[in-house]
Amino acid sequence: MADAALHDHDDHYRPGFFVRWFMSTNHKDIGLLYIFTAGVVGFISVAFTVFMRLELMEPGVQHMCLEGSRLIAAATENCTPNGHLWNVLITGHGILMMFFVVIPALFGGFGNYFMPLMIGAPDMAFPRLNNLSYWMYVTGTSLAVCSMLVPGGNNLSGSGVGWVLYAPLSTTEAGMSMDFAIFAVHVSGASSILGAINMITTFLNMRAPGMTLHKTPLFAWSIFVTAFLILLSLPVLAGAITMLLTDRNFGTTFFDAAGGGDPVLYQHLLWFFGHPEVYMLVVPGFGVISHVISTFSRKPIFGYLPMVYAMVAIGALGFIVWAHHMYTVGMSLTQQTYFMLATMVIAVPTGIKIFSWIATMWGGSVSLRTPMLWAFGFLFLFTVGGVTGIVLSQAGLDRAYHDTYYVVAHFHYVMSLGAVFSIFAAVYYWIGKMSGRQYPEWAGQLHFWTTFVGANLTFFPQHFLGRQGMPRRYIDYPEQFALWNEVSSYGAFLTFASFVFFIGVVFYTIRYGRKIEENAYWGEHADTLEWTLPNPPPAHTYDILPTREEWDRQPHH
Amino acid sequence: MAHRAEGSGYSCTSVPLSANGGDGACSGSPLYELTLRPNRSLTRKGHAVLILATFLAFAVMLSPFLGTAIWPVMLPFPLFVLWLMFTLIERNYLDGRLTEELRIWPDLITVDRIDPRRPNGQHWSAKPYWTTVHLYPNGPVENYLTLRGNSREIELGAFLSPQERSHLFEKLQRILSRSTANPHLSPCPA
Repeated sequence: MADAALHDHDDHYRPGFFVRWFMSTNHKDIGLLYIFTAGVVGFISVAFTVFMRLELMEPGVQHMCLEGSRLIAAATENCTPNGHLWNVLITGHGILMMFFVVIPALFGGFGNYFMPLMIGAPDMAFPRLNNLSYWMYVTGTSLAVCSMLVPGGNNLSGSGVGWVLYAPLSTTEAGMSMDFAIFAVHVSGASSILGAINMITTFLNMRAPGMTLHKTPLFAWSIFVTAFLILLSLPVLAGAITMLLTDRNFGTTFFDAAGGGDPVLYQHLLWFFGHPEVYMLVVPGFGVISHVISTFSRKPIFGYLPMVYAMVAIGALGFIVWAHHMYTVGMSLTQQTYFMLATMVIAVPTGIKIFSWIATMWGGSVSLRTPMLWAFGFLFLFTVGGVTGIVLSQAGLDRAYHDTYYVVAHFHYVMSLGAVFSIFAAVYYWIGKMSGRQYPEWAGQLHFWTTFVGANLTFFPQHFLGRQGMPRRYIDYPEQFALWNEVSSYGAFLTFASFVFFIGVVFYTIRYGRKIEENAYWGEHADTLEWTLPNPPPAHTYDILPTREEWDRQPHH
Repeated sequence: MAHRAEGSGYSCTSVPLSANGGDGACSGSPLYELTLRPNRSLTRKGHAVLILATFLAFAVMLSPFLGTAIWPVMLPFPLFVLWLMFTLIERNYLDGRLTEELRIWPDLITVDRIDPRRPNGQHWSAKPYWTTVHLYPNGPVENYLTLRGNSREIELGAFLSPQERSHLFEKLQRILSRSTANPHLSPCPA
């Protein structure tokens, strides 16, 4: 039996900076670490795109020269195009965004911070494992950034094989850079799997008494679905890239036809992971958007259960459609027909979600505060991306669109304007809760409108370029594509400016923002459990388990 | 600082101090019994369903690879993940089995703290007559509850909320004052 500890004076124990942020086992601190790290990596990754759009602004190569990269355009004749650098940048942008920005921000960051709060759990099920996940993510990020700096193919640094790491390109790329990239994905995968098991255990085993699965908030559900996608698909990727590694270093021929292997097998394995991966990016966004729309329409979410099962269905369908990324590898007609039909079926649960969001707003008292603007942006642009998705799902049409800018436009509409808009919605929705200070409304609105215009200006013209036949992943293009590339580049600069402005808004808010005292500062329809806590919540929450009256506001759902 | 458990719950089986409480000898059923443990919301059946569903999903995914050259690479990762999830959820249940059991007989009061990861557990016992219960509103934690007896002072209800500890304090005081009033209520042979 523990002897009474009456002479301890550590009741107001406050950890120092190092202990709090480097050895943290507190889910809120780890969530903040994830969000800020993802922000830094996101900035790096976005900076790459700005340089790429700068290069693509005009036909000819003026910036990425073998003689040295420059921001001010060089005369074309003085510049030997550095295609390797271009390839490294598209690879780096893809790997960082897919593995180290969006998932860590939404799943690792907001998931860590708000999922336990929403279900009334005092912390994650395994706080120290949570810390391990975060530091493995940092390790993976460092490896990924290193891979762009260490010696790679073409006697230059970095490897330019695309984020999908297709064999045989990746198995024949010289230098150690490719191995760094593989290890980066391995480590981040291990981090995600540990995080996913932690989330699953927390979600299933630590819900407040009385909170059955059918009463758990939608964001918590979205994190659970995402965790399951990670758990099921990342081991497959781990196997695939392990084989890449042995092909590169130990002379195996898993993906080498000359040795009896099959390069298309790698594509199947990669996309078997890769398609669920894109849902891991966007499903937590669905959760955020549901809460934002309900809060600012002042109505409970329309069709709670269909919303839950739509997410589950999207997750499940995500595992049976992978080959629509590779219609052109030579599959039989029957196989292509199957993948086409299965892909179009995804529109059903997605439609359920979109229409339920619209129905939530229908007859509601909508207030266009910043988080709601982002949610509107998400709803509209994600739907546009979904519609081009239906176009691309047609195996026949895909023959023409495969590897063109139409595909680039499509997936940026779903991810850059879908998932990233939901990250911004989440930031504006919860920054007051996390920091105790509120952002200036005009700044949030300005950030939204500049990003909205900028991102559309960037990506909408890329549909035209794709339809004109401009292929993706090239440093240069014929003059015929000049107009829309220039427009697209202006859009990218505007978006980047607005992103820099956003960073300013965040730091202004944290330091000088107006203090908010009211717990549920968005009104009574922000009714999940985190809104019963002060801003910011104390280090330890729910020492007393929340009672049913605190969270069960709509007993009918 | 009291140990902070990952959740707290309050399940209680109490036997009222009945008129024939004199029947309760040391070996008999206690007069008052209380079990305190953290909250867990997944049933054992739910756990089984989860592991089974994950296993089936992996089995379907990996079946095409059986007997091919790549299954030695593809198989270990899912198996490891399945094992890891099973083990970690078991561990979470184990953490949740941390319990404090308080039993009061007419002539004996015992507190057993059962920590699944500490095989011998922690035990304390005393004579109710000499035992006093204390509540420190500003103790190391709010409403710190202790029992003093058998020349030790021990903490109780570490994973209860301050209000719950305060209620428990009143209840224990009532029970202990009764046994103080009648110290010879069914004495045990030594």
